[in-house]
Amino acid sequence: MLNVFEIKSLNLYYHEKQALKNIDMIIHKHEVTAFIGPSGCGKSTLLRSFNRMNDLIDGCRMEGNIYYVGNDIYAKDFNVIDLRAIIGMVFQKANPFPMSIFDNVAYGPRCQGVKDKKILNNIVRQALEDSALYDEVKDRLREPAICLSGGQQQRLCIARAIAMSPEVLLMDEPTSALDPIATAKIEDLIAKLKEKYTIVIVTHNMQQAARISDKTAFFLLGELIEYNETEALFTHPKNPKTEDYITGRFG
Amino acid sequence: MLGISMISLVGVLILVLIFGFVFSKGAAVISWDFLWGDYHETVYDTYYDEGLDDTVFSRPEDLDDTIWFSSVWGVGFTDSVDEAGNAIILIVYVHQNSPLSSLLDKNEEGNFIAISNGQIVNKVIFGDNIILYGSDGAKRAAFLFDQATIIKDMITVTSGGGIRGSIITTFLLVIMTLALAVPFGVFTAVYMHEFAPKKSKIVKLLRRLIEMLSGMPSIIFGLMGAAVFIPFTSAITSADGGNLFSGALTMTAIVLPLIIAATEEALSVVPDDFRQASLALGANKTQTTFKVVLRSSIPGILTGTLLAVGRIIGESAALIYAIGTAIKDKIILTERSTSLAVHIWSVMSQEVPNFEMASAISIIILLVVLILSLLVKLIAKKFVIDPSLR
Amino acid sequence: MAELHIKFQNKQYQKRSADDITKAVLFVPTLLSASIVLLIIIFVAQRGIAPFIPSEYEELAVDAILFLTGNTWFVSPNVYGVMFIVINTLIVVFGAMVLAIPVGVLSALFIVKMAPKIVGNLLSGAIELLAAVPSIVFGVFGLGIITKAVVGIASVFGTQTAGGISTMSTIIVLALMIFPTIAIMSITAIRAVDINLEKNSLALGASKMQTWLNITLSSAKSGIFAGIILGIGRAFGEATAVSMVAGNAGSGPTFDLFATTRTLTSTMLLGLKETTGLDYDIRFSVGLVLIVLILSFNLILTRIKKRIGRYSV
Repeated sequence: MLNVFEIKSLNLYYHEKQALKNIDMIIHKHEVTAFIGPSGCGKSTLLRSFNRMNDLIDGCRMEGNIYYVGNDIYAKDFNVIDLRAIIGMVFQKANPFPMSIFDNVAYGPRCQGVKDKKILNNIVRQALEDSALYDEVKDRLREPAICLSGGQQQRLCIARAIAMSPEVLLMDEPTSALDPIATAKIEDLIAKLKEKYTIVIVTHNMQQAARISDKTAFFLLGELIEYNETEALFTHPKNPKTEDYITGRFG
Repeated sequence: MLGISMISLVGVLILVLIFGFVFSKGAAVISWDFLWGDYHETVYDTYYDEGLDDTVFSRPEDLDDTIWFSSVWGVGFTDSVDEAGNAIILIVYVHQNSPLSSLLDKNEEGNFIAISNGQIVNKVIFGDNIILYGSDGAKRAAFLFDQATIIKDMITVTSGGGIRGSIITTFLLVIMTLALAVPFGVFTAVYMHEFAPKKSKIVKLLRRLIEMLSGMPSIIFGLMGAAVFIPFTSAITSADGGNLFSGALTMTAIVLPLIIAATEEALSVVPDDFRQASLALGANKTQTTFKVVLRSSIPGILTGTLLAVGRIIGESAALIYAIGTAIKDKIILTERSTSLAVHIWSVMSQEVPNFEMASAISIIILLVVLILSLLVKLIAKKFVIDPSLR
Repeated sequence: MAELHIKFQNKQYQKRSADDITKAVLFVPTLLSASIVLLIIIFVAQRGIAPFIPSEYEELAVDAILFLTGNTWFVSPNVYGVMFIVINTLIVVFGAMVLAIPVGVLSALFIVKMAPKIVGNLLSGAIELLAAVPSIVFGVFGLGIITKAVVGIASVFGTQTAGGISTMSTIIVLALMIFPTIAIMSITAIRAVDINLEKNSLALGASKMQTWLNITLSSAKSGIFAGIILGIGRAFGEATAVSMVAGNAGSGPTFDLFATTRTLTSTMLLGLKETTGLDYDIRFSVGLVLIVLILSFNLILTRIKKRIGRYSV
């Protein structure tokens, strides 16, 4: 069985500044992997390189390789658009499109050419159910998405990503803008989603990482300091820098 | 302090003066005939010799006492004055079954002419050579008609002075120009803002050129219209000289910078989040731009379009060159005609400027400008309150 | 979406997407839009230079030097002079600016700083509406009311006018047309001034008026000047309204405010109905002169604007 992601000797630069130094790691299937570390350590940057969203940033340069189920995603002529279709991403700030709830979730499949109403209805319904949002919105699917609360909007964004039947879900600090109740709902959701998807989640909240992830990677100043089973990393960190971070000596 | 506040009232003062002047001079002229009538007077020369049946037309109840009615012919006359102050006989009512609604044309065999409401009776020669003159008054007209069974020669004149032709021209010009300028302008803005390579020198040059466009006075565009678009349209259509196509092309050049600017403004306000989210879902740039970004930009584009409409309606100098100043009643796309603004110019540059007509048209233009301004403000308000804009 | 997974399992890469097509397609209208400027320059220039070329017009060719330096518009059959028209145009624009700049800037100051909110909104709404009034309507207004007013002013000075059609009427009408532009841009510029600057000035003991005149206006310099540049551009190019109140002075230049005058744009419009041949074509030459004038002014003014903006935030 192929690993979902293999990162080999990854170095990433924004113009002259180096943001990622020599990253080597493997992401496993059906696991929740958490990236933790202080601000600016590169965890979001690494996440965004998995679906080549960094391409959109001016002056971003990369050395090394990232393999997605064996494919070198930075190979020449690689179809980035299809890559993004099968890797889902949820952003820190919920950003539903100025359309109805239904149209938001149906957006991705429609872009892939799905037109049949029945199929779309099923996809939308399934995605919303899997995101634990369906019951709350089933009577108002045609209403504008911005009428939802913050937590609901974020779950909508998750549904939107799931509607594409991705293999992987990349989540960039998905709960940092939400209240504790909404956060808890999403954390429960992630625990369930793990059965279907591989999840990589960036979080600045260590407790969250400890709660929901199977493996945790700790980053500092662009370097991968430690990567281990979550419980092991938090109870017996091997690297003193890791220990400093999780005991709150800095960060 | 007081001085400054007085100075700032100049704006309001002038606005009030303009509206006041234009209303005082022109309001009296505005009527349905004015809006929908021909500009040019038409002279009809008709006759009727088929004999009358026994029909007696009853006088309609809504005709007041100033109207003299002939029950034999079913026609109502009233006294009026023309521009020079001469007494004239005005036809104010013709029954639909009246023989007068279908008279034979003396100038064209087999052609039928309808005598209708609004025409002026110039002269009528009846069967027994009794003559009715235009100055004889409505009462005598009704009397003589009641006595007659044959009309040997009837000369009527439509009053003219209507602006229907110019209204239609203006409308056509707006539609044609928008049909060209909106797609052109929006696509140009979309290219420059979303698709063009960031540091491209070509894009810089293009922007500079488009900027230069917005600084050009409209009369220069008129010159270009005359130098380029008139020959061009004359070559590919049956046009000979200025026509509505050359006018629309010229106006497109003028409003293009407007629409490009409004669209770019609207595009730049769309949060980048949307683009990122769409791309992350596996949509390509084309889909992202058209399904998400442009959709959010519609209010801004609409604003630009409304501003363009105002510009088209108000434009005079450019169209004087790019089309011409011939006022027409029948509008043909490949021929000259005047927009409302050029119509004003045309009647004001006569030997005796027609202030009344010019003011009346100005009222119409000002009202349209007012409505457009309000619409633009409304869109701005609704757009800002829209919560999808964070 | 399952097909996509299979593609990746099988390492099937694909060609480029529809985006390149879109990019190419959208480039076409962009290119066309930009080339309009070139169209104007090339064709108007060609038409405008033609009267001076003997091969085009044979004996009727106009002498270019006489054209550029002459002080009489038309001496049959082919002597045209445009110098005095240029001077008249400059006089008229300058005069209009003298009136429009203070009115525009001070109105803006009043609206932003002194007036209560409702009054300010009303005034700025009126000014915005005024900015949208088409030039032909200003022409009707000018011919109807302004000229009468000028007749009145002239009689106070004991002079005659040609029914009010004069340099002064032209200046007034132009000023009325451009001060809204200046006012609107000044409003934006003044609104953008950092309120802390004003607070500091007041804290130093300056009065409100002193603060506004010295600090606020000074900080808003750049934006106000941009409005002035826009206004000057509009003033140079204004055609219909000007041609209705300027008159038809055959020679000049006109320094008498109450005498008729002639501007570049009025020359292009007057008598257009009945002209053909050389008389029609020479208007393109006048148009060329206008373009050159406007471009030169834009260049000079933009340079000045850069210097003015040097000490601003």
